[in-house]
Amino acid sequence: MTSRYDAIIIGGGHNGLVTAAYLARGGKKTLVLERRRVLGGAAVTEEVFPGFRFSVCSYVVSLLRPEIIRELELARHGLEILPLDGTFTPMPDGDYLWRVNDHAETRRELSRHSRRDAEAYEEYSRAMVDMGRFVKPILGMTPFDPTSCDPRSLMQLLSLGKRFRALPRCSQQLQVQLATMSAADFLDQWFETDVLKATMAASGVTGTFLGVRSPGTAYVLLHHYMGEIDGAFRSWGLPRGGTGAISNAIASAAREAGAEIRTGAPVAKVLLNRGRTSGVLLENGDSVFANIVASSVDPRLTFFKMVGKEHLPDDFVEDVSRYKLRGSSGKVNLALDALPNFTSLPGAGPHLRGGLTISPSVDYMERAYDDAKYGKYSRHPYIDMVIPTLSDPSMAPPGKHVLSCFVQYAPYHLRSGTWDDQRERFGDSVVDTIAEYAPNLKDIILHRQVLTPLDLEREFGLTEGNIFQGELTLEQLFFLRPVPGWARYRTPVRGLYLCGSSTHPGGGIMGASGRNAAQRILRRWRLPGT
Amino acid sequence: MEASGHVRSIVKSYDAIIIGGGHNGLVAAFYLAKAGVRVLVLERRDRVGGAAVTDDLYPGFRCPTLAHAAGPLHPTVARDLALHRHGVRLTEPDPRLFAPQPDGRALVLHTETTRAAASIGAFSKHDSEQYVAFSECLEKIGGAFRDFLWRTPPSTENPTANDVWQLLKAARRFRGLGKRNGFRLLRWLAMPVADLVAEWFETDALQAIVSARGIYGMNLGPKSAGSGMALLLQQALGGHVLATAASAKGGLGAFSKGLAAAAGAAGAEIRTGTEVARVDVQRGSTTGVVLSDGTTIAARLIVSGADPKRTFLNLVAASDLDPSFVTAIQRYRASGTMAKINLALDALPEFTALASATATERTAALGGRIHIGPDVDYLERAFDASKYGGYSEHPYLDVTIPTIADPTLAPDGQHVMSICAQFAPYHLRNEKWPAARRGLGDRVIRALAAYAPRLEDRILHRQILTPVDLETTYGLTGGHIFHGEHALDQFFTMRPVLGWAQYRTPIAGLYLCGAGTHPGGGITGACGFNASREILRDLRKASGSRRTQG
Repeated sequence: MTSRYDAIIIGGGHNGLVTAAYLARGGKKTLVLERRRVLGGAAVTEEVFPGFRFSVCSYVVSLLRPEIIRELELARHGLEILPLDGTFTPMPDGDYLWRVNDHAETRRELSRHSRRDAEAYEEYSRAMVDMGRFVKPILGMTPFDPTSCDPRSLMQLLSLGKRFRALPRCSQQLQVQLATMSAADFLDQWFETDVLKATMAASGVTGTFLGVRSPGTAYVLLHHYMGEIDGAFRSWGLPRGGTGAISNAIASAAREAGAEIRTGAPVAKVLLNRGRTSGVLLENGDSVFANIVASSVDPRLTFFKMVGKEHLPDDFVEDVSRYKLRGSSGKVNLALDALPNFTSLPGAGPHLRGGLTISPSVDYMERAYDDAKYGKYSRHPYIDMVIPTLSDPSMAPPGKHVLSCFVQYAPYHLRSGTWDDQRERFGDSVVDTIAEYAPNLKDIILHRQVLTPLDLEREFGLTEGNIFQGELTLEQLFFLRPVPGWARYRTPVRGLYLCGSSTHPGGGIMGASGRNAAQRILRRWRLPGT
Repeated sequence: MEASGHVRSIVKSYDAIIIGGGHNGLVAAFYLAKAGVRVLVLERRDRVGGAAVTDDLYPGFRCPTLAHAAGPLHPTVARDLALHRHGVRLTEPDPRLFAPQPDGRALVLHTETTRAAASIGAFSKHDSEQYVAFSECLEKIGGAFRDFLWRTPPSTENPTANDVWQLLKAARRFRGLGKRNGFRLLRWLAMPVADLVAEWFETDALQAIVSARGIYGMNLGPKSAGSGMALLLQQALGGHVLATAASAKGGLGAFSKGLAAAAGAAGAEIRTGTEVARVDVQRGSTTGVVLSDGTTIAARLIVSGADPKRTFLNLVAASDLDPSFVTAIQRYRASGTMAKINLALDALPEFTALASATATERTAALGGRIHIGPDVDYLERAFDASKYGGYSEHPYLDVTIPTIADPTLAPDGQHVMSICAQFAPYHLRNEKWPAARRGLGDRVIRALAAYAPRLEDRILHRQILTPVDLETTYGLTGGHIFHGEHALDQFFTMRPVLGWAQYRTPIAGLYLCGAGTHPGGGITGACGFNASREILRDLRKASGSRRTQG
């Protein structure tokens, strides 16, 4: 069976689908090829245990670009985001920190810990929103090449410099600090409450193999702060029906625009013809032809498995092999008979409806990292949890619940043993850790799914289990993402593009990579000879 | 300007007072005096040199108490100060570095790249080849911004034509690196040095040696991002992949004395044992300084070689500064992690790795820097302790034996050993510093004894300087040897704080010339040189406008 398209998208994750939707809307005959039977990549909902539906990997949404929601009319395609109110952090001494979206409420709660921090929180929130405003337009930008003398690159560089200079001096300083400091040092400047700093710093290391005290982590803090739902900064939500519902809505928009989507269609090779792509070869032996192939899978898979090192320049191969994909997190999904009961705030109160995190102190976070640095999973990990069934009861049988636990650190490369023999022990350590704060947990677990970085790689095609398809560290951001010189969604293979999280601006259910790539591709189309 | 000391001592009026007779203060003093400014340098201690001094360690033993390697000075500065005329003899040891390994072997690295590569060949052929490529590449990249260390960072708010010109020149140099190295520079600035060395080398020993330069004096481990930038800065300053190892005959104190002599010959007056208590400010301008004995000395210009925290939080009244500036200075990170241990030894320590070497070979091998820290994880674990307020169980050590280059520092056949030990954080959590001093010393000796087993028996005397001692004795706030962390957000236009990186301060007439300014720490004199250029520029502008008014 052979067939011809204008563009083929490898991978039906949310970014691949976004690219497909935009290309189809641009009038291109587009085909999406997804290896698994379900769409969504890491944004997927699956009924893992009868009656229990899990957002298996990615579990909350906030970064999804509003322009994508608007342009693709995702609401009409069934996307509904339920607010996730607040973050609850239990502490070992029996106290807790519970921040909610209501500002006055959070202030009161913070004053309980430190009056000074309550004041600083106002100032901090304002500053972060300002910083977010500065960075936001950069998310939609195609990175320029700082080493090139191309006038367009220079113009972009200059306009960025101009915008930076237009910032007040204190914001300039903050911006640089955000880009370069450690999350812990950055937060130290504002706050004294340990648990507050730890919980905030946690988002600075999510998905990254760095500790909260390592420079560069402050940026990831902002990356997560920029989440925007209905125009409100720093609000997180749960899609009704799990994160798979986002993928389905985007897929529906893509199909409506004319894109074709095939699941259960793993791509084996990118077809090459004299240095340019001519389509793909499926694992079942079928070939599909197109002059444009956009890969939403990570660069390691794209270039080393599907293209082949021998077809690529040496420097490029070296750079791709240096691209850091070290996975640092795992996921534990629990099917529960009842709600967990936290010692520090007993009962099924509204605190359970928001995020629940185990991040009691900066030292706790740092020690969790120390274990991982030397090739072990954290004995006491940082855990970020949600109970989606409280907002969306359809995810479990009546009266039952789902507890979704993001766990860090779980290094892909274990120094001793393999993930296959340590999976359940890893799961135990997660349950034990949570049970220290919610002792009834062990009695209410009906089923448990443990995903190690190795599982994320095998099941979801995330090389080394990295949830962002490459760490969000300074040397892998913007014009350095994924590799120096190839940050503009193009690759050394003509006609082959990248459109996944491994490109600027990076991971999270954001869709920006997919949209930026689609725009680049559509622009190339207008030029002759491509 | 050729006035004798006697004549100058009755001159009671000065144009400029330099607070602190450290090497940067002395370099600034030299250039100001040379331009005809009447300069007075006030040093709190009884000797000049700041962190570059030679002190008595034990009867008959003298030692570079704190810093143990200097330079390189900028060729222009070296020429202008003509230090050799003032008795300064810098020697570069060769071999430059000795790194004993736990398996009893050692890397002995010569200055010359190919010779070093040959020694590395015994460990790994791959690394031997890579070493040559790496040192070339690092020098190309580090060298590309060497020049810019000797320039004043541009104004971010009102760049002058010259700022723009310098920026364009920098951009040209950056492009001159080519695409590959240009991107390397950008990546390396942001990377953990551990990742950087892993891209080049396979042997633990070499990875650790290069990584160590990224954490030297810093509050970072090799796995912390930002240590790559520290390595590049060291390279730009030092110009060699294995760090500077130059020592002075007579210890670094002799080097500082040479600087003082050069400044004195240019007309600067230097008073030791004179502590400045505060800087007098009236209506936003400096009028002079008040000494701790209450004496006031008037001068229009006050140039502080002290670190930014000391200058703005101790010497200047908070009421004379904008609160947001004070906050920025308070936030400036200067928490030291280094301790200094000096030993008087009755013989050269016997390193296991040199057991079969001849006496000459042994002496030669130990003449440069001795690196203790066999692998990246060792260095990282040493750092881990400091994160939780403890000092390393197994510290990273940078050691020299100054008596090899200059036997006069100790009685015949005996030696002094100078050890920089990391990590010893300024803030201890479960102990207090003076009390923990002995424990720290024991761990350092133990770490060394792992490679030189009979070291303990050789020790006649040990001196242990904790970060708190560095603060009290040398005036380094927080015990930070670089007057503040070399971090991307405290670098270039942001050192010490954004908007005040041009050696000027919010107080008219008050300048900074210490390592808390661009380009930071290291005994290179760059801060003092740059500061004096800015001060002279302001003076010319002022006299220019006076002339036009007249």
